Amino acid sequence: MTNAELNRRAFLRAGGDAMKASCIALSFPAVLTACGRARQAQLAGDDFTSLSADEAREYDAIAARIIPSDDTPGAREAGAVYFIDNVISDAFERQRQALRSGLADLQANTSNLYGKAQFADLSPVQQDSLLTQSEGTEFFATIRFLVIAAMFSLPEYGGNKDKLGWQLIGFEDRHAWAQPYGFYDSDYLEKGE
Amino acid sequence: MAQQQTSVTYPTREAVDFVIVGSGAAGGVIAKELSVAGFSVVVLEQGPHLKASDFKHDEWSYDYNGGLIWGSKQGHPQTFRKAADQPTRPAEAALGYAHNVGGSSVHFSGNFWRFRPIDFKEASVRGTISGTNFADWPITYDELEPYYTKVDWEVGVSGLQGPWDPPRTRPYPCEPMPIKGSDVLLERAGKKLGLNPYPAPVAILSQPHNGRPACIHCGFCNGFGCEVNAKSSSMATMIPLALASGYCELRTGCTVSRVSTRADGKADEVVYWDAEGEEHAQRAKAVVLCANGAETPRLLLLSASAQHPQGLGNSSGFVGQNLMFNGYTSVVGLFPEPVNAYKSIPATRVIHDYYELDKNLGFYGGGGIDGRHYARGTPLNSALMSGMFGGPKWGADYKRSLEQEFTHTAAFDGHTTSLPLATNTVTLDPTLKDKWGRPALRCTYMDHPDDLATMKFFFDKTNELMEAAGAIRQAGSYPENGQEGNVHLLGTCRMGNDPANSVVDKYHRSHDVPNLFICDGSSLVTSGRGQPTMTIMALAFRAADHMIQSARRGEI
Repeated sequence: MTNAELNRRAFLRAGGDAMKASCIALSFPAVLTACGRARQAQLAGDDFTSLSADEAREYDAIAARIIPSDDTPGAREAGAVYFIDNVISDAFERQRQALRSGLADLQANTSNLYGKAQFADLSPVQQDSLLTQSEGTEFFATIRFLVIAAMFSLPEYGGNKDKLGWQLIGFEDRHAWAQPYGFYDSDYLEKGE
Repeated sequence: MAQQQTSVTYPTREAVDFVIVGSGAAGGVIAKELSVAGFSVVVLEQGPHLKASDFKHDEWSYDYNGGLIWGSKQGHPQTFRKAADQPTRPAEAALGYAHNVGGSSVHFSGNFWRFRPIDFKEASVRGTISGTNFADWPITYDELEPYYTKVDWEVGVSGLQGPWDPPRTRPYPCEPMPIKGSDVLLERAGKKLGLNPYPAPVAILSQPHNGRPACIHCGFCNGFGCEVNAKSSSMATMIPLALASGYCELRTGCTVSRVSTRADGKADEVVYWDAEGEEHAQRAKAVVLCANGAETPRLLLLSASAQHPQGLGNSSGFVGQNLMFNGYTSVVGLFPEPVNAYKSIPATRVIHDYYELDKNLGFYGGGGIDGRHYARGTPLNSALMSGMFGGPKWGADYKRSLEQEFTHTAAFDGHTTSLPLATNTVTLDPTLKDKWGRPALRCTYMDHPDDLATMKFFFDKTNELMEAAGAIRQAGSYPENGQEGNVHLLGTCRMGNDPANSVVDKYHRSHDVPNLFICDGSSLVTSGRGQPTMTIMALAFRAADHMIQSARRGEI
């Protein structure tokens, strides 16, 4: 393996750091309660629990760049922003504050570079450029974590609507499986080793 | 199987025969053995009694919100440092264990290797290692074998005797689990390299056994409670029998603060808070600590008194020392066709050709290799790691990685030895407190250079295997700068013949306190090769046997 060292380092970055950099840690019972609310709000098309309409629009725009919609649905269609709304409603005040100030920084850059007040009003290319600049920040790590958590947690939590996230990765939500599980064990019983 | 709740209630002010702290792999077994033998038993468990019907495929709860393994949000903060002279930082579950009836046997992977004869006498055979507490066990494999067999049949294990497996007196009760694609890849690669892959022994039922059903291969084993009771946790196997005996009272939501001793130095009661925070003290003729390799030493240190100034049972100073995590490595390969390693149990094949590494390599170590999914097959963990082959971590290309990596990868993992060191410890944090006001657990840990060299060896071997398996891309890692937490909590109250360098004798009786028994991961003298639960359960059956004999002789 020629790229062993490079790959290993990339791998090390991929897993743990996403969580370590995130400022969000949550309490379980409160999340469940809050999630029930968020899901109902989503179904009823109601307002958000903790986000203002403007904030929700911004987070939705960020989510749509983390996992974009193209030939398949992305974080926007999966309702990631509802999950994020719910999580923020349960976060510590200092965590909310950190997110608010992170969003404010992003909007300041939006205004300085492109003369617009809202990140959501930029073109996808402009949005990607700003997000690339913020990649090393705690804010970006947190939002990235929340968008992915939204997309791949149980749909009951509000952000994996119609199991769109699971469909994307090929996770089939079944309770029981039998061989063959995939391609490589399909001929094992006939051929053995 | 009867899911009868507590069938008996004992008054706290009258001494029961045994009070057991903890209901996990060891505590569940001992509770069942003692109560079925007719002794009065109270089990104190800090967590709730979750059952199969309570478990869900809920990664967000279990992995990110302390659903099973509590953290600071539940009032159980911990701290970590690499060495005594290094800075201490807050840590979430650096010492990881579940808080529920059955303990971590509920959510563990189910991998269930026996130790081998060499594990019990390796220091003699291989030679001691200076600067470490590497030592022989006070018991041999042959002494433990009947109890391994008891675990096989009473708890329920699936497998097939492998080429170098230790001798067994009875075959496995259940046939091996059906092979997964990830392990077909491992097996074929291993054979290509002249190795001997064979079916992995697991504490998961491949067929109905003892009134429990066979596994339905849902894929949510590691980190989750089994929804059909096919995983052989002590919650599913032992606790129901203990409760059905009519002699065992299981008190959940009870957090122990200390073990009290009388003027003669013997333990006489266990002080605890119930779920409402009210303090109680259960009197007992003997006390059995099965609280795990982190909680057991903390409780002993918290039970210091004028008679036991260094902590209860700690005249050796070994309480909390010699913490061993086991090492691990992981290599992930991308394959052209779907592997779908997220289905079924974690691992169905193992390679044990490197159980004992050649001494000429210049370092001590050994381990095993198995095939798995790279992130336990759970969607969220997997997605967080996607882009692992060097791709971006967000955006359109990240989405392409997501589409591919969850289904088209296999991981080959190494599980390795850890040496016992006086400097790797569980101690009381001097400043941080938990929700009960007890000093928080402080973990001090740095892998021995030989442990890191062993991990490097397994990392390289699994890379070779992955190449032989035909992976298109490879990535992987091992904790080359030292581990900063683990769920194997071994060696912190080791057993031994010499009271100067061990905490309990070969029958798990405290050297210092004659009616105090300690049996859990803390009892292990050496780490084994990365799958300790089978040995913890076998030790528990053996310890209970001797407790029963002692009690019948009036020696508790």
